[in-house]
Amino acid sequence: MNLKPLLRRAVVVSIGAAAAALALHTFGQAPSGKLVLYTSQPERDASQTVAGFKKAYPGVEVEIFRSGTTEVLGKLAAEFSGGQPKADVLLIADAASMESLKKDGRLLPYPGANTAGLDPGSFDAGKTYFGSKLITTGIVVNTSAKSRPASFADLANPEYKGQVTMPSPLYSGAAAIMLGTMTTRPDLGWKYFEKLKAQNAVAVRGNGAVLTAVANGEKPYGILVDFMAFNAKAKGSPIDFIFPAEGNPAVTEPVAILKTTQNPAAARAFVDFILSDDGQRLAVSMGYIPARASVGMPSWLPAGTKIKLMPIDIAKVAETNAANLKRFAEVFDN
Amino acid sequence: MTHTEGLRERVEDYSLLWSLVLVVGVLSVLPLARLLEEAIAPGGQFSSTVLVRVLSSAATWTATRHSLVTALGGTLLAVVVGGVVALLVSLTDIRGRNAFVFCFVLPMMIAPQVVALAWLQVFGPSSPLLKLIGLAPALGSRNPLYSPEGIILVLGIQYAPLVFLTLRAGLRTMPRELIEAALAGGAAPMTVLRTIVLPLMTPPLVAGIALCFVSCLGNFGIPAVLGIPGNYPVLPTLIYQRLAGLGPAVLSEVAVLSMLIGFIAVIGILLQDLMLRRRDFRISTTSSTARAFELRGWRLPVEIGLWTLSALVLFVPLVALILTSLVSSVGVPINSATATLSNYDFLLFGHDAARRALVNSFSLSATAAVAIVMIAVPLAYFLVWRRSRLLRMVNLVTEMPYALPGVVLAIAAILLFLKPLPLIGLSIYNTVWIILFCYLARFLVLGLRPIISAYYQVDRALEEAAQVAGARLMRRLWTIIFPLVAPAATAGALLIFLTAFNELTVSALLWSSGSETLGVVFFSFQQGGDSTYAAALGTLTVIVTTILMLSTLLLAGRLPLGVLPWRD
Repeated sequence: MNLKPLLRRAVVVSIGAAAAALALHTFGQAPSGKLVLYTSQPERDASQTVAGFKKAYPGVEVEIFRSGTTEVLGKLAAEFSGGQPKADVLLIADAASMESLKKDGRLLPYPGANTAGLDPGSFDAGKTYFGSKLITTGIVVNTSAKSRPASFADLANPEYKGQVTMPSPLYSGAAAIMLGTMTTRPDLGWKYFEKLKAQNAVAVRGNGAVLTAVANGEKPYGILVDFMAFNAKAKGSPIDFIFPAEGNPAVTEPVAILKTTQNPAAARAFVDFILSDDGQRLAVSMGYIPARASVGMPSWLPAGTKIKLMPIDIAKVAETNAANLKRFAEVFDN
Repeated sequence: MTHTEGLRERVEDYSLLWSLVLVVGVLSVLPLARLLEEAIAPGGQFSSTVLVRVLSSAATWTATRHSLVTALGGTLLAVVVGGVVALLVSLTDIRGRNAFVFCFVLPMMIAPQVVALAWLQVFGPSSPLLKLIGLAPALGSRNPLYSPEGIILVLGIQYAPLVFLTLRAGLRTMPRELIEAALAGGAAPMTVLRTIVLPLMTPPLVAGIALCFVSCLGNFGIPAVLGIPGNYPVLPTLIYQRLAGLGPAVLSEVAVLSMLIGFIAVIGILLQDLMLRRRDFRISTTSSTARAFELRGWRLPVEIGLWTLSALVLFVPLVALILTSLVSSVGVPINSATATLSNYDFLLFGHDAARRALVNSFSLSATAAVAIVMIAVPLAYFLVWRRSRLLRMVNLVTEMPYALPGVVLAIAAILLFLKPLPLIGLSIYNTVWIILFCYLARFLVLGLRPIISAYYQVDRALEEAAQVAGARLMRRLWTIIFPLVAPAATAGALLIFLTAFNELTVSALLWSSGSETLGVVFFSFQQGGDSTYAAALGTLTVIVTTILMLSTLLLAGRLPLGVLPWRD
């Protein structure tokens, strides 16, 4: 048997393979296979995010589980307990949950993530989770409401007795961060929530319920996330959004890779996409303030406006989160 | 009958019995056992700390008390409303009976949280109805529905059709001779009702009460919308709040609380068993139903009363739903300038998931309904006619998956199916099959209770005659027994279909891309503040179901008598 052609072919093949490997290395490994995403984004935004990602990385097939923060965490808890978490990447509302997942050693650091141009406070220093946008919480009022509260503190005045609704932190991740942020402030603190309760403020299940109640006029005033208020206003709902004097508590909707991921290449690609200019522009088009300020701002935010944010210590909020929720449940009996 | 044939018959009996026991074991016992393991041995290590902590917490017992109050109150209201309506519709000469039945059953198609929201608006400060009559509460006054009474009211309305359907299936077999004999003997209609109809109808009535009780006990949507703002926690909402935390003890706490709900449900079902065992309820059925009581002068007032009730129960939430679905964004006042079909356009042409969900929910609910009836008819045969200690246990455990909040059953299913199935190595996790499994487990009791009650009313003589003539069990089940219990079986199948079609709490944790259910998509929209999309989806659901229910009329001629509740 003449080995020469075989040998020659082997050489050609290996040179080809090396060139291909080099090419892939230069242009980045094209990720492929299945990627499982667990997210608490609203339905329409989640499907648009996935569609955008698939356009950028056509080789990856995305499976998605979308639900409220509570359900996503519940499903994860069960999967951890069963020993086989199925999610590869998470995109959930608040950094506090990410922080506790990180503490339990569930997250995979991604040192190579493109954090240039991002606010250093928006991502974890250990590079395990990265804020994808900025969702601030402020005050929403029905346009036919009598007054315009200027601050969160105003809402606890007797004038607003029985007219205020807010998302319960037991169901909303953004509200949990709001609670963690506001209770540490000397001007608000737990006193504030006790006063709200004494004024018959109603804590409902999630931001969507607050929007419905205020837009329908069932409660003239509410505490709500910015994008939901502005998107509804743009579509004609009779509401206005007010940036309170104390500043807005904010969540960053971080993205993170689970340590148990079956497809790290695709998971990294997902993080890359979320933080990329394209991904950030997509967030802007959905009405969010992007994490990367350079891509522009949503149309509801006049150019150059600076939103005053409430300073937040994520590590501390994460630490006190469970106790906060419990105390809130006691204060609000809920 | 020869010796070998007798043996064969017994082998067949036993293999059928044991395969049914096995099915119930897999559907009902397995998830519960896995949950119990999580409660007393979190992470595989026996520990009673969580158990003690949960059971010594004041919040646990407050929620338990609230659960009992709302479940009992809701059941009472549903039984009174559903029972009275069933009697009036089935026994009197009111007109427009079929249309009324149709309208009375339809509200089950509207998701409980939608009903709760619609009622909130009816009683709220912005209520157009109350404003019209000048009774609207002052802006900012507390909505009266945010209270235990509010929860009871909406639960009662939501589950009245459950009692109605079960009882109506029973009344279909009411023999006319007994009533006519009593009337001929000079008894007043009320006396006939009290001494003949109600005693004979005890099995379906008790079955309806039992179903209602577990439904109210396990309902999450209504106390979530009304109880959370009203500071009135019940066990299902408490469980949900515990889930909001993340950590190793979460599942154990949830499991312990679930066991508490299960315990209450078991007491309920034991009481039911006790009530049914005291007497004999068999009636020999005739092919003709009883002659209607003539209401004479009362007919019109009764008809007006019934339709008013139907208007409240069906049209209030339905109109609210439709109006919301026709505006661009929530809170936009509706008029000729703002009305738009853009929400429908988005759902039908812009959103794949909504269309997929419609197909998924339809096939899941229909499959569950048919499969459960096929399990429940032979199972009830053994449960009622071949009592044994084992069967009594089987009867008890079927109740549990329905009494637990859906989210708990879903967690149990995740724990069970996360790893590939043993032996065959396939995984049903993150597929539509895990949802079907949960539907079968959860809704088995909805099919079983009406069918069991039907067996209590069937005289066994027919079956025994067939047996003497040499027909074996399977043949007897198919040719003799099934036609006798068919009205109850369809009532059960209908209950399953209507409940599963809108179901949310189970699939909320179990769906994955491609296997969305209607409840999931609906809830997602609502949660994201897109209530107008949610309302449009809800309206589409009602339209599709109405068409389906009406199209069953085409088949009516081929079905046994009394099978369709909305056709005489």
